[in-house]
Amino acid sequence: MVELDSSLHLSRPLGPAAGYQTSTTPLTVVIQPQALFSILDHSSRRPPDQHRVIGTLLGTRSDTDDSSVTIHSAFAVGHTETTDQVEVDMEYQKAMLALHMRANPKEVLVGWYATSSELNTFSALIQNHYSSQGEGTYPYPAVHLTVASEAGKDVEVRAYISSAVGVTPERAADSAAFIPVPHSIAYDAADVSAIDSLGGARDAENRTTNILTDIETLEQSLVSTIDMLDRVSKYVEGVIEEEVEPSTALGQYLLNTLALAPKVEPTDIERNFNEHIQDVLTVSYLANMVRTQMDLSNRLATSTLTMGGGPVGGTDNNKEGGDRKQNRGPRQNRGESISAV
Amino acid sequence: MTANLRVGGIVLPSARVKIISQEELHQDNENPLESPLPFIVRPSAMSTLEDQPPQAVQLEALTVMKTIKHCAARHPATATGFLVGMDNNGTLEVTNCFPFPIVDVPAEAQFEQQHFNSAAAAPRAKANAAYQAEMIRMQKEVGVDANNVGWYTSANLGDFVNSNFIENQYYYQKELNERTIALVHDISRSSQGALSMRAFRLSPQFMTAYKENKFTTEALLKSGLKYSEILVELPIRLHNAHNVTTFLNQIPSLLSKGEITPPTSVHSIESNPSIARDELGPNFDKLALNIDPFLQQTCDNLLDSVETHHVESNNFSYYSRALGREQQKIQQWQAKRKAENAARAISKQPPLPEDEWQKLFKLPTEPSRLESMLNSRQVEQYAKQVDGFVAGTSGKMFAVRGNLLPGEAGSSVE
Repeated sequence: MVELDSSLHLSRPLGPAAGYQTSTTPLTVVIQPQALFSILDHSSRRPPDQHRVIGTLLGTRSDTDDSSVTIHSAFAVGHTETTDQVEVDMEYQKAMLALHMRANPKEVLVGWYATSSELNTFSALIQNHYSSQGEGTYPYPAVHLTVASEAGKDVEVRAYISSAVGVTPERAADSAAFIPVPHSIAYDAADVSAIDSLGGARDAENRTTNILTDIETLEQSLVSTIDMLDRVSKYVEGVIEEEVEPSTALGQYLLNTLALAPKVEPTDIERNFNEHIQDVLTVSYLANMVRTQMDLSNRLATSTLTMGGGPVGGTDNNKEGGDRKQNRGPRQNRGESISAV
Repeated sequence: MTANLRVGGIVLPSARVKIISQEELHQDNENPLESPLPFIVRPSAMSTLEDQPPQAVQLEALTVMKTIKHCAARHPATATGFLVGMDNNGTLEVTNCFPFPIVDVPAEAQFEQQHFNSAAAAPRAKANAAYQAEMIRMQKEVGVDANNVGWYTSANLGDFVNSNFIENQYYYQKELNERTIALVHDISRSSQGALSMRAFRLSPQFMTAYKENKFTTEALLKSGLKYSEILVELPIRLHNAHNVTTFLNQIPSLLSKGEITPPTSVHSIESNPSIARDELGPNFDKLALNIDPFLQQTCDNLLDSVETHHVESNNFSYYSRALGREQQKIQQWQAKRKAENAARAISKQPPLPEDEWQKLFKLPTEPSRLESMLNSRQVEQYAKQVDGFVAGTSGKMFAVRGNLLPGEAGSSVE
């Protein structure tokens, strides 16, 4: 079965002063791909002795009911972890946050990330710190994102929020119940085209690829479309030969799709086509003509003169002025040829 | 002597000593426009090995994603930021990028005459140099060892060749070193399906000419600088780290794992979440025919460029007319002086000096040709874009026509 991440919605833990939050709707986290790429980049650069690295998440909350947090960007924060204690460089975090806010004033602190999936007391400690008053995300819950990228396994992304869980008062600071929240990665149109281009490097040996020109991407799209059509037609042939289970739903769906091609009068098609192709070709012609004119005018302006080298500017500039006037002419009469010298 | 005059451009009355040396240079080369610049020392000739200009650019996936995100967020205003990375054997590797802080111009200020595009000028602002240095220092603390290698900007259908762009890149190439690039991301072309990223540097000839900041006719004649040589474009390669590759491979995860049970109704096909929610499924945008907006925008841009061109050439004609008038006046004055001196010689009075005209008459200064060169380069950019667009679009249009016309190869609509 195709699996989707399942999650359990618990009532969102409220801050100590419940008056701040009026709704207890579950929190969803939307991650933007650039933040994820930042985190992956950081995890690949971590010092070899550190098992995991952490950093801060910045983003925005949805205006109306705070039920959705969008993570826009992330930056790394230095930290060290030993068996007994953990140190997080908060000075660095504050300074980096200030720098970041200058460039993106609308983003606020929304949580933190770690590059391994385990949750231990240190996670709880850091989480409580991030949710605290003052510099934390109070009164909103801090989002904790774990991005696990181990060699050979898939990249696992999990998002949590936490609530305080009391065992004993002394251990309150480093205990937290992490509740998974549903997350999704949102791709814009711009992101999709970038990921397509980056995806071209998937199979290459050195993981690099060139940026393709328009024609090459068109070719790629056509090839993949033809490929998909081949698969569909093989399936249909299989059904006709009675080798594959027929399915009325699929058949109906295919018929619906094929019926999408509009039925237009041939004369209309021809006329529309001619008009559009004329538009396109006219603009192309114009652009190239303007380019040629400018090229000519530049050359004439800086060319040497082989006649009338005598007193200066007089004759030479009249010639240039005349040519420029002629440059103007052809722009208004499109079809005529260049009448310059 | 005639040969000397022939080679020079506009020979002003104040004699040019350099003409003679030009003659020596042009002995074996008939066309002065094509002559090399042996007496202008190129920066690369005097720089050390470390200052060799980069030949290619390699972008990390992270840089690409952050750049397009920032540009898309600021659209339609210009978005600028700086790049960090390092130089590796002639290939400039860009590992990360950061946006510049924005300065929100208050609404009243926008109507002032002095309002200039702060985002476009951001890369060379002093405050931002401090911001960059600070950011790079912070990055070093978390183990990213990288230097400033350039800046990026957003563009809209190729309209980035303007004086802001040139000044920014000049600032970078002068202040830092030759190994800096300008990365241009074209938003409108990327939204049509194909990612558009280009890297540019200023050519050495242009750098020299810009340093002297004399774009007059004789200077251009001497240097032979053509508008097409202002920018040098560098090829870009995209590079993914290992975990990014893993991530990219698993993205279309919903459909690549497991089997879907055969659907029982059309509705279930259409509403199947793994199909409906799959944003990274095959992208058919590149096959869409979307010509009118592109054509409109291109025509607008071309008209703007033609207007600029005319403004520039009008300036120049005005200048040459003014020059002509001044010189006429000078000649008249000189003739008068000669007549006076002749009269004085007859009446045995000391002759008056003949070169006072230099103090009395002021020749107008020749306007700089830089703007018109940039404009021409911009038009060349537009023309190339249109060519690329036309190639793809006419193919698509013929395909659509072939498909819609009944009876044409293979298709049937019944």
